[in-house]
Amino acid sequence: MDFSVFVQLLLPGLTTGCVYALVALGFVLCANVSGVVNFAQGEYVMLGGVVAAFLVPHGVSLPVAIALAVVAGALLGALQERLTLAPARHSPDFIQITITLGVAVVLRGGALIAFGKDPLSMPGFSGDGIFEVAGAAVPVQSLWVWGATALMLAAMFWFLRYTDPGRAVRACSINLQAARLMGVNAERLTLAVFAVAGASGALAGAVIAPIVLANWDAGIAYGLKGFIGAIIGNFRAPGIAVAAGLGIGVLESFAAGYVSSGFKDAIVYGALLAYLLVKGGVFVFGRASLLSR
Amino acid sequence: MKLRIGLAVFVACVVLYPLALPGQYPLGIGIITGALAAGTVGFVLLLGYAHQLALGQAGFCMVGGYASAILCVNHHWDPLAALLAGALVAMATAWAIAAPILKLRGFVLAMASLALHLILIVVALELPFTGGALGTYGVPKFALFGLPLGSDLAFYYVVWLIVLAFVAAGLAIDRSRVGRALKALAASETAALSAGIDITRYKLQMFVVSAGMASVCGSLAVHYLRAMDPNVFGFAFSLNFITAVIVGGLMSVWGGVVGAAIVTGLREILRGLSLPLWEGVIMGVLTVVVLIAFRRGVAGFISHLYDRLASREAPRASLGDPDGAALSRSGRPAARLEVRGASRSFGALRAVSEVSFAVEPGAIAALIGPNGAGKTTLFNLIGGYQPLDAGSIALDGARIDALLPNRIAALGVGRTFQNLQLFDNMTVLENVMCGTHRHFQAERVNRAKTAAALAFVGLRGAERLHLGELSFGHQRLVEVARALALEPRLLLMDEPASGLNDSETERLAELILRVAALGVTVLLVEHDMRLVMGLADQVVVMHHGEKIAEGAPDAVRRNREVIDAYLGSEHVAA
Repeated sequence: MDFSVFVQLLLPGLTTGCVYALVALGFVLCANVSGVVNFAQGEYVMLGGVVAAFLVPHGVSLPVAIALAVVAGALLGALQERLTLAPARHSPDFIQITITLGVAVVLRGGALIAFGKDPLSMPGFSGDGIFEVAGAAVPVQSLWVWGATALMLAAMFWFLRYTDPGRAVRACSINLQAARLMGVNAERLTLAVFAVAGASGALAGAVIAPIVLANWDAGIAYGLKGFIGAIIGNFRAPGIAVAAGLGIGVLESFAAGYVSSGFKDAIVYGALLAYLLVKGGVFVFGRASLLSR
Repeated sequence: MKLRIGLAVFVACVVLYPLALPGQYPLGIGIITGALAAGTVGFVLLLGYAHQLALGQAGFCMVGGYASAILCVNHHWDPLAALLAGALVAMATAWAIAAPILKLRGFVLAMASLALHLILIVVALELPFTGGALGTYGVPKFALFGLPLGSDLAFYYVVWLIVLAFVAAGLAIDRSRVGRALKALAASETAALSAGIDITRYKLQMFVVSAGMASVCGSLAVHYLRAMDPNVFGFAFSLNFITAVIVGGLMSVWGGVVGAAIVTGLREILRGLSLPLWEGVIMGVLTVVVLIAFRRGVAGFISHLYDRLASREAPRASLGDPDGAALSRSGRPAARLEVRGASRSFGALRAVSEVSFAVEPGAIAALIGPNGAGKTTLFNLIGGYQPLDAGSIALDGARIDALLPNRIAALGVGRTFQNLQLFDNMTVLENVMCGTHRHFQAERVNRAKTAAALAFVGLRGAERLHLGELSFGHQRLVEVARALALEPRLLLMDEPASGLNDSETERLAELILRVAALGVTVLLVEHDMRLVMGLADQVVVMHHGEKIAEGAPDAVRRNREVIDAYLGSEHVAA
């Protein structure tokens, strides 16, 4: 195996993997605090990308465009929680989760109307140059993606470990009901977590836009791949979810490079199905299957 | 009556539509609506009844669409045979994917079906025989038994005939024990399991049925479009399914038909207004608003209006006294329960540690102990809700410790819960009828047995009431009646007296004695010491997960270790 080809596939894989990792983290945080799997998670990445890519050619400076995209993500995340989940707080989980799907449809549809059908391109933050690592050419923008993701993850894990609300989030992930009984204000926490997940998704979308183009219907793919990460982390462990998100990016890139770029999605989704089939226990019967959950 | 009106309105609409709106364009909309309805009727069964959200339902439309296109164009199959072949492939695929995945909790089916759909799109693009991105062209018109349908009008009627057949199938499921089982699992999976309902199996069945119907939807649409390519049934088409079913009405098969008409109509209106891009936003907003504000959708609203207009008199109940003669000793003998070395840990906590005891047939045994002693965990081990780490549990000598709760219930083990687990979407009668699920017998027999069980617990006359109209004590009796409808050989009751007042507790004790007299072994977990002492033949005392004493109530009451553990050592002096 040629090492430079390996690196040439690994590094872009890590770049898209960063986005999946942030989406996976958003899934885990929202699910832990609210008990709801937020199917709109991937749409915030899409939104961050199209908002930033739309503003830059309209004369908005780059940092401002990125900031506006992140603010839009946070605002819409908070709005989603206030307008659609808070009123349905006492509905069955099944209804609440289906509502998040409706929100995803609204966000997609809204982006289509506001920003049009065509994919938007955006210049790299420090030019569209490339640099070389071990014989592999990598866009400079990748550094921005890695840096932004690292910062975001560091901030989130610091928040989870060292702040009171962060500890409350972790308490919720262990036992939602007990955490509420211990005085965790789940309502405010849910609002905050949805806003943060919206903002981090939008940031991921904005930094990746110069590399992959921003498109109104990109949200499902980001959502599904992030979901795979969350599911590998069992919707409980943020660290595992993030690592799995990165891994999915790498797997996708290797599948495209070593097998066929047409089949890369089929390979990633096939891996998800295989994982679920094994986890569901194809060969596990009776009460032992209760343990495989 | 309501059903007949529904069918009459349906047939009238289908027949009158092409007469009222003649011309190719409206007829085409009618055909597309019908094709969509064929799929959404199945989707109601999946989303509305089995509460399984599938995000990739259009993947099964692709299966049907490609089966019809490829088999008819390249292999000159008869269209009807191709349609059936597609449906079979779709159903087999659905089964293979969902059978293992549905054991997992959460919303994995949603994403798994989406993944499957996206894989199918890639496969359709990349494989040679699908025609790639260009697709397959020249699909013939639909034909019935070799007779091509010359006119679109004939095709229109065939499509809607298929929809009618699907609606009839859906209504038949709705009214069968399967429909009741689905409503039960939608309301409370735990309670459904305790009634012997195999929840995974029914979810799987609905996924398979809905996949077949979605495939037929795809085949019909392709015979109208006369071409198939990977973009015909994209993610947006799956969203159409979801919106249609939610807006149309989740709780009724008719919701699928109404929803298909609304979605297609809306799209045509938006096209007419040159606002096709708004479709997504409007559908999404409709979905969210209906889910928050009126969960039963348009069909539910119409049904609600009909009920109001027909102004059904609210049934009034005058509850009879318990009728001890209503149930007689069943032929089958009471069961012997034997627990041997049962252990279960949660992390470092040994919730149940090597507990052994046996309950003889027909005896009333009580499991007591302070809070956190492991009583409920032990109950869950016996009932099948938790796996054992070690030890064995046997019913009449046959081990049951690997079985799931519904299998254990099907062996004749009834269960009531500390926190009532009833189906709040059903009447009292339907709740109790769920208990008869394990018996494959005529509904007439089920109904008679249900009535007898209700009379036995003292709820004669409450059949048509909704749970909200009953007091807490009476709701508890409904749960007991449901367990009795199972015709149990062993009845597990988790703190049956909690939340009851003194006179209710007294009547409960009397009821438990009558249940045991039917030839049912009874095992209770109980806090109420008076109830236990007056009732039980045998008491098992647990403390910190271990059994510390066992014996007749009087002997246990004098046991020093029990007094220390149960009452606290300060009581010893008193």
